[in-house]
Amino acid sequence: MLRKLLIGILLMCPAALAGAESQWMLDGSTLTYHVSHPLHQSEGISHEARGKGICHEGQCNFLIAVPVKSFDSGDSNRDLHMLQVTRGAEFPIVTVRTRVPESAAESATLNLDIEIQFAGQTVQYKQVPFQRVVKGNETQITGTIPAKMTDFKITPPSLLTIPVKNEFPITVDLTWHKM
Amino acid sequence: MLAKIAHQRCAWVAGFLGVCQFVIFAPALMARGMGALAGKVTDPAGDPVPFAVVTATSVDTGQVLPAATGADGTYKFRLSLGTYHVTYESAGYEPAELPVVRVAGPWTVVENCKLEMKDEQAQGNPDPAQQPAPNPPANSQEPSLEDLGITPAQAKGNAQAQALLDKRSRMLKIHQRLGIITIEPFAATLIASAFAGGKKTSSSDRDLHAILGTATVGLYGATAYFAIRAPEIHGTKTRGPIRLHKTLAWIHGPGMVLTPILGEIAFAQKDRGERVHGIASLHGPVAIITGAAFGLAVVSVSVKF
Repeated sequence: MLRKLLIGILLMCPAALAGAESQWMLDGSTLTYHVSHPLHQSEGISHEARGKGICHEGQCNFLIAVPVKSFDSGDSNRDLHMLQVTRGAEFPIVTVRTRVPESAAESATLNLDIEIQFAGQTVQYKQVPFQRVVKGNETQITGTIPAKMTDFKITPPSLLTIPVKNEFPITVDLTWHKM
Repeated sequence: MLAKIAHQRCAWVAGFLGVCQFVIFAPALMARGMGALAGKVTDPAGDPVPFAVVTATSVDTGQVLPAATGADGTYKFRLSLGTYHVTYESAGYEPAELPVVRVAGPWTVVENCKLEMKDEQAQGNPDPAQQPAPNPPANSQEPSLEDLGITPAQAKGNAQAQALLDKRSRMLKIHQRLGIITIEPFAATLIASAFAGGKKTSSSDRDLHAILGTATVGLYGATAYFAIRAPEIHGTKTRGPIRLHKTLAWIHGPGMVLTPILGEIAFAQKDRGERVHGIASLHGPVAIITGAAFGLAVVSVSVKF
């Protein structure tokens, strides 16, 4: 009887560990890039990001992916030019990966190390600050990624032969829910 | 005597360039005597294939016209009437072709294409740029693109479509630079017109005006060429200031053809010692409208309103 009980407990252990795993799903997103030129301040917005987080043994791995062509600046000519300079046809998806300790996921401010794959390059940004706000079942994460064209080997597009600034910060507004 | 010869040469060149522009660009702008070929490229599941390269090769002339499908998988060509050989290519799919497509009238011939998946094992070593975006091996602890509902086909790049975008950007950059350069002789021509059209003008004033006008028409023709011949990315809806920029081409394009022709008539009248009269008296107003439309076209894509 005792042997059967022990075997039963042992069999249940993996199930119990598996039960410790939790997941986050991205409900809504607004990603905005900002480009500066002496004659223009432009921004392109995408609401088409998809994301998922898997928490396991105290660590949560997040992946967010967004099609390059989904960024809309309100000007089809500019969008096609951005698609070209960012090599969006060759590398159609931007991915962002980050790892967050499950305990840190409860903080109001998160300083995250993020890895971005974009335009055929993989770039890491260290300790990027994000704000976390909980609204009922949803968790909203906002912040700005200090991206630079040169980080991704992008030739800055130019207008009237004047190139845009190297910096193109990306503001992030993500709404997650825990499953 | 020399001034007269110079004037006649300039007037002839300006008129010739104007007629050339009309012959080369008016068909593209007015789409007369042309038909269209359009369709949708889909995968075996019926989903659209974006950035597939569609190439129409004229069987009659050998002219090769590439285009790319838009995000919705659609493509569209404006083609001269004739017979075409059409190919469809996209990374990860078997190429497809239509040996004979007849564009026989001013209507749209619809040819949809369903691409078959390429046998991955038979591909050997594909171009690294055409491989899917790097994705770590799927395990239960790290989410993958597939977990997000993004298929390998969606994540796969298309080097040919990128080459088409590169070509488009290169041509539009040249278009932009030439457009800016054209402003200078254009403005100089308008200023020189103040000394060319009055009662007390000399033939040298008119010659200078004609030379500047000829340079303007030539540069304008080159500027227009690079815009009209830049590959179109189909499925892209024209939005934003570029709409006004394109609309204004319908004013300054015909204006740039008409102005030198009217100028030549006016010039001949002045040379005969006559007062500029009849249709030639429209040379000035047409030039001003053309200049204003051209300037506005430049400003429309330069300054954010």
